[in-house]
Amino acid sequence: MVMPVNFLCNEEKIEIIGGKLQKKIQRLFNGSLAIREVDTGSTNSCEHELTALSNPYYDVERFGISFVASPRHADMLMVTGPVTRNMREALIKTYEATPDPKIVVAVGNDAINGGIFRGSYAVLDGVDKIIPVDFQIPGDPPSPKTILCHLLKILVVIEEKDHGENK
Amino acid sequence: MLNLISAQFSFFLALLLLAIGAVGSLTFAKKDWLANLWGNGLAILASVSGLVAAVKVLIFNEAFTYTINSTFSNLSLSLAVDKLSAFFVLIISLVAFLSSIYGIGYVKHFYNKYNLGVLGFFYNIFLVGMLFVVSAHNGFFFLIVWEIMSLASYFLVIFENKENNNIKAGSLYLVMTHVGTAFIMLAFLLLYRATGSLDFSVIKANIGNASLLIKNLVFIFALIGFGTKAGIIPFHIWLPSAHPAAPTHVSALMSGVMIKTGIYMFIRLFVEILSGTELWWGATILIIGIISSLLGVLYALTEHDIKRLLAYHSIENIGIILLGLGSAMIFLSLNLKTLAALSLVAALFHTLNHATFKALLFMGAGSVISQTHTRNIEEYGGLIKFMPQTALYFLIGSLAISALPPFNGFFSEWLTFQTIFSGIQIPDILTKSMFILAAGSLAFTGGLAAACFVKAFGVTFLARPRSVAVLQARESGFFMRFSMAALALATLILGIFAGSVSKIILGAVNNLTGFQRVSGIFFTQKQTFELSNGFAAISTPMIFVILSVVLLLIYGIVKILTSKRKVKIGRTWDCGTKLEPQMEITATSFARSIVIIFKGALKPSKQLEIEYRDADMRYFPKSRNVELGIVDVYRFYFYQPLRDLMIRLSGYAKNVQIGILNVYIAYIFLILLILLFVQS
Repeated sequence: MVMPVNFLCNEEKIEIIGGKLQKKIQRLFNGSLAIREVDTGSTNSCEHELTALSNPYYDVERFGISFVASPRHADMLMVTGPVTRNMREALIKTYEATPDPKIVVAVGNDAINGGIFRGSYAVLDGVDKIIPVDFQIPGDPPSPKTILCHLLKILVVIEEKDHGENK
Repeated sequence: MLNLISAQFSFFLALLLLAIGAVGSLTFAKKDWLANLWGNGLAILASVSGLVAAVKVLIFNEAFTYTINSTFSNLSLSLAVDKLSAFFVLIISLVAFLSSIYGIGYVKHFYNKYNLGVLGFFYNIFLVGMLFVVSAHNGFFFLIVWEIMSLASYFLVIFENKENNNIKAGSLYLVMTHVGTAFIMLAFLLLYRATGSLDFSVIKANIGNASLLIKNLVFIFALIGFGTKAGIIPFHIWLPSAHPAAPTHVSALMSGVMIKTGIYMFIRLFVEILSGTELWWGATILIIGIISSLLGVLYALTEHDIKRLLAYHSIENIGIILLGLGSAMIFLSLNLKTLAALSLVAALFHTLNHATFKALLFMGAGSVISQTHTRNIEEYGGLIKFMPQTALYFLIGSLAISALPPFNGFFSEWLTFQTIFSGIQIPDILTKSMFILAAGSLAFTGGLAAACFVKAFGVTFLARPRSVAVLQARESGFFMRFSMAALALATLILGIFAGSVSKIILGAVNNLTGFQRVSGIFFTQKQTFELSNGFAAISTPMIFVILSVVLLLIYGIVKILTSKRKVKIGRTWDCGTKLEPQMEITATSFARSIVIIFKGALKPSKQLEIEYRDADMRYFPKSRNVELGIVDVYRFYFYQPLRDLMIRLSGYAKNVQIGILNVYIAYIFLILLILLFVQS
């Protein structure tokens, strides 16, 4: 499932997006969504934006989102970077180490299709060439607010799917 | 069938079989497999015969004495097997039986390398020596068989003589054991002077003639002499080097049984013959027990050589046995016979238990060594996947030695605790504080022993292989597995039926002079053991049942709760890198934190060597080398100065030896003159 690139949510404040996220997380993940970030050779721009989510301005931990140190604890993998050859095996290992059910999100244009590195001999052109990707967050890099909006959207999709299966 | 054979007959049959085994293996030395089968096979038959003898004496009260008189009454061959002797014959035979079976499988890797005829010869002679030692009833005869036992074990220690270290260990053992024997001789000569006989029963009858000074001297000399064999600290230094050097089934016998002959003579001499009159004797033994048990286990923690580790645990367990024996002697001097009997039961029970689980552990270690060809536990790792049965038996041995229920070590340590608690009730403040110290050290020892076996088992069997040799390891052969399984079962049975066993041991104690009428120390009903003063009670079968039920319950609950869960087996999460054996916790790193806590006692050493790329500009190190170890305190502060002193004294003595014949004649003349004056 790929998000439309023009999905924007400039109108809303972070607290409002966060409040909605919190409700979803409460329902779907019992109050806490654990994310493991995997850097597969990114330019570090996406990392900066993801790190910003934890700073005092965004502070996503108040909404129940936390970045964890081990994929064993994670519900969601956020993969950045175009996947260099050297990181291929590490990515597969991380994917295997994450318990099922898991959500894989490719963050940034590099991760979606290789971005500006596309076609280089050193990269494998996107995460979905290596492991199954559920969602994509476009942008080079996506701003923290964009990431939050996409997260909300992802949870909405998951919730709808969940309802569909229960019916 | 059992009634047809008398205890005496089967005891002598055992000796005869061992003699045939010894001579036969030399005869068949040319053929390795025949020498192996003959030497070990006859030892097996002899141990069965010995077991029958011991059981007949212990249960059917068939104690016997046997004497061949000679014109010199002191040189007569005199044997007496009472219940105490029979108890030790039982331990010797039990361990010898399983060690010999183990030996059949174990010595195969010596084929075409060493002379197995010689091994069979000394092995059987060693067993003969031990059987005689615990049955000898005459001082002179005792010294002869003691020497036979020591020499036979010396030759077994240096059996693998292609390794230089073994020769060194053997020499150290030879020197130490003869120093011990010298002290034992002194003790016997003093007894002879005081009582006019070397026969144990005559000495016992006439001990009243001996002055207190003589008795005290006998105590000190015997303590050093037999203590050297038992491996008490500080006379233990031969033990950690000699036991690992011997072939494994011999190590099991030496560590499990031979050092107990020292305990046997402690009991025979101090409790029965000298009848433990002095309070300070018991106190000394108790303090030696405290020191040996604590330091023994601490040194074991620092060891990386698996057999040396086990040897240090022998010192620890001798310490625990001495805690029981020391309490017994203190109670005896205070005329508390029932408590003394209880302590003796505790000490003897632990002797039996230690023999079983230490033999088991040595055999487990031997199986590992025979597959990996190294004794360094840092080079093991992950062996549970290659030798699952050996791992299980070693685990059982580890649980038993760590005094965990339902295995036998738990019960005897519990009993030792009870005697120490009874000692704390003595009003005298000095004695009381000593017992409090003993209780603390015993508890501490138990904890450290458990820590040490977490290390020994974990580093050996768990995690990933740390050397190529481990990858080629295979499960050991049938004979070796059989012995280990039998001993593992024995530790469990001795633990569960501890009530009955302690009753039999009490029978042996009641057999000692002064303890005949002591009874009602404890009750056993359906294996439930209760001290008669109502202070404590325990039911070992109940513990076993509860533990089994709890384990089954946990297994069942987990099974039910996880029945709907899908199990997925994947790789261990390693942060995307490759898991390497270097990442594992090693024995050194596990023990180091504990060693640092006890650095006052252990004196850890650390050597850091850095080689720089450019010696003038010390910025880029080429290699770093850290060596962690501990200082051998005894060698540096006790034996080295002693040795230097001896050499200096010998230097002075050399001045007398001029090498001119006339001077020597003058010496003789002078001595004659002095003697004449003294006589007149």
